[in-house]
Amino acid sequence: MSQFNRREFIKTLAAASSASALAFPSIARAAAKARVIVIGGGYGGATAAKYVKLLDPGIDVTLIEPNKTYTSCPLSNEVISGYRDIKTLQIGYDGLKKRGVNVLQDLVVGVDRAKKTVTLQGGKTLQYDAMVMSPGVEFHYNTLEGYSEAVINDIPHAWKAGEQTLILKKQLEAMPDGGKFVIVVPKGPFRCPPGPYERASQVASYLKHHGKAKSKIIILDANDSHSKKGLFQQAWKALYGFEKEGLGTSGMIEWVKASEGGNVNKLDAATKTVHSDFVDLKADVLNIIPPHKAGKIAVTADLAKADGWCKVVPMTMASAEDEAIYTIGDSCVAGEMALYGNPNANFDMPKSAHIAMTQAKVAAAAIVAKVNGLPTPTPYYANTCYSIVDEGYGFSVAHQYRVVDGTFKYIKEGSGISPMAMPDKSPVPPIYRKLEAEYADGWLRNVMADAFG
Amino acid sequence: MRNKLQMAFALAGLFFVAPVQAGDDIEGLARTCYGCHGTNGVSVGQSMPSIAGLSADYLKTVMMEWKSGARASANMTRLISGYSDAEIAGLASYFSKLPWTPQVQKTSKETLAKGKAASDRCESCHGVTGGEPDGDDIPRLNGQWAKYLELELMKYRDEAFQMSHKKMIKNARKLDEGEVNSVAEYFGAQSK
Ligand SMILES: Cc1cc2nc3c(=O)[nH]c(=O)nc-3n(C[C@H](O)[C@H](O)[C@H](O)COP(=O)(O)OP(=O)(O)OC[C@H]3O[C@@H](n4cnc5c(N)ncnc54)[C@H](O)[C@@H]3O)c2cc1C
Ligand code: HEC
Ligand code: HEC
Repeated sequence: MSQFNRREFIKTLAAASSASALAFPSIARAAAKARVIVIGGGYGGATAAKYVKLLDPGIDVTLIEPNKTYTSCPLSNEVISGYRDIKTLQIGYDGLKKRGVNVLQDLVVGVDRAKKTVTLQGGKTLQYDAMVMSPGVEFHYNTLEGYSEAVINDIPHAWKAGEQTLILKKQLEAMPDGGKFVIVVPKGPFRCPPGPYERASQVASYLKHHGKAKSKIIILDANDSHSKKGLFQQAWKALYGFEKEGLGTSGMIEWVKASEGGNVNKLDAATKTVHSDFVDLKADVLNIIPPHKAGKIAVTADLAKADGWCKVVPMTMASAEDEAIYTIGDSCVAGEMALYGNPNANFDMPKSAHIAMTQAKVAAAAIVAKVNGLPTPTPYYANTCYSIVDEGYGFSVAHQYRVVDGTFKYIKEGSGISPMAMPDKSPVPPIYRKLEAEYADGWLRNVMADAFG
Repeated sequence: MRNKLQMAFALAGLFFVAPVQAGDDIEGLARTCYGCHGTNGVSVGQSMPSIAGLSADYLKTVMMEWKSGARASANMTRLISGYSDAEIAGLASYFSKLPWTPQVQKTSKETLAKGKAASDRCESCHGVTGGEPDGDDIPRLNGQWAKYLELELMKYRDEAFQMSHKKMIKNARKLDEGEVNSVAEYFGAQSK
């Protein structure tokens, strides 16, 4: 029923107004109402492609993605610990094809913003009326002395899920009891703010349940605090004997902040030794999360002008540099980061799949409205990140954002982390942590289907 | 009933109003629920409930109870204060108008039989299959995810978890530990 009405609605609109032709002059000649190109078939891009098509089937949508299969980063830490098969995180593009999205397996190598064309590695040049740019992040290995892409099979990042995740899993399994598993965390912003600490927890869970409890997990962090820190440390105390912050403490997990030597600046890849101002540490398994910024193609297109990230117009997710291009997902910075010198900034949107998807929906609705000559819809943004720290023990953070007077507004009263204690200060009953561990999987299935299905 | 064009506008999420004006762009807001509850409120994740097609009365009551604090939850309590009362009413109405889409789940014959026996106590309110609730304040159970139903029963049964509906709490606590899973799977297996 809704499908029928929606089509009819779009038809009525098209007949009633020629506004679409005004917004996009080139489409008056084209068969389709407008051509939308989506760069990147991750959570952001897939969702944008699907929702443009859902909202207006008359728009021609082409998604360009080099990989045949997408592997979800969310919940990939559970693959490392062996709780989850990586196949449960993989999905192809048939769902989008069935919805009428043209999916090209190729890489975008050039963008001509003046001509509104993109060039593919395969040689094709395609024209767009609107473009969604969602290429994720590019790693900047060279910011760490001695580190390069050449070593990642030996020193995996596992920060783009797939083969890398499995390499890290194998290394963990091969690590003897008493070994040192070192995680190097780059300075923020990075994708999935709670990710490194969830990873440490998953590794600890594996070690604890596989007779390797004498091992150590050492997090060398280029930051002085992190997402859900209180919840993580509370869980680590309860589960893994966490003593306190700092190197040389007694628990299985040690967290070393930047100001106490966590800021790694040099790697000796041959011996898996990392160095910071105060610490030299030789690892048995070394997991370096490389510093990253907006995906390369966003830089090539000259859109990543906010310290290497893409700045956006809050109402629509359009690039601040180009109103025909919508820059969403990990490659954008949505909100004024304190980093950019705005003293009133109390947040920026975390880089998560969940937020990328709500950004994609905002962009899709804005594009459809523009094509049809309608005013810009009200945007709503939301984030959720579940973290699972052991079997049956999970917690989460939620954020909501709206746009007020053209700027992002963090909706504090609709956001927050799982409780650390009950209102009467008593400990949180175990059922809460159990429920959230269960909800994480349900969330995963729904985001995957909502994006790719 | 609104006319067809208005309806289509709403469905397409293209009602446009100034930001933070309550209740007028409900589909745009509803889309932020899909990450957890599935596209159009139909969940494909076993631990997350489908919310499309539940009665407006039930949806609104549950959300308003989270907002007032009368009812606990692991996730929804944190989100709900971000929506105005008018938006909550709008969301309830929006999802109630979408069709209920049972996800008929397979289970073993023994579990079905055991679940059916245990469901005798549920029938007067939920109907034989869970699909014919005896009132707008009662949610449908037929084809809801069994995993989710089991987790909900766990909440009703756990004294440490503050639920609000006294009769439902009482009924859930009368189940034997071993019946919880089978009664959930029984309802999850029902198509109508
Ligand atoms: C370990 C880990 C755990 C995480 N856990 C969570 C979680 O629990 N919850 C959560 O919400 N988020 C989580 N995240 C974050 C989440 O993975 C990202 O935020 C999300 O993938 C961002 O989506 P995106 O579309 O911006 O980028 P991506 O998903 O990275 O997709 C980008 C796509 O673009 C393609 N691409 C790049 N360049 C080009 C080009 N030139 N041409 C064509 N295609 C191109 C790439 O191949 C890729 O498929 C986690 C991340 C990690 C690393
Ligand atoms: C972060 C994930 C998440 C998001 C986003 C979310 N929900 Fe929920 N929802 C849940 C979970 C988990 C439950 C189970 C109850 C709980 O919170 O413990 C639930 C339960 C519900 C229920 C009760 C269903 C029943 O059968 O009793 C309703 C109604 C609901 N949500 C409505 C919404 C609406 C409307 C939105 C969007 C405005 C929304 N939810 C967004 C996770 C989410
Ligand atoms: C007296 C009427 C009554 C009886 C009997 C009853 N229920 Fe319920 N049930 C309700 C009501 C009302 C609700 C909504 C309660 C609330 O708001 O918390 C509910 C909610 C539920 C839910 C939560 C569903 C959701 O979507 O969150 C489950 C599961 C459930 N009932 C299962 C059962 C089972 C199993 C039995 C039998 C053992 C049973 N009920 C017996 C009235 C009843």
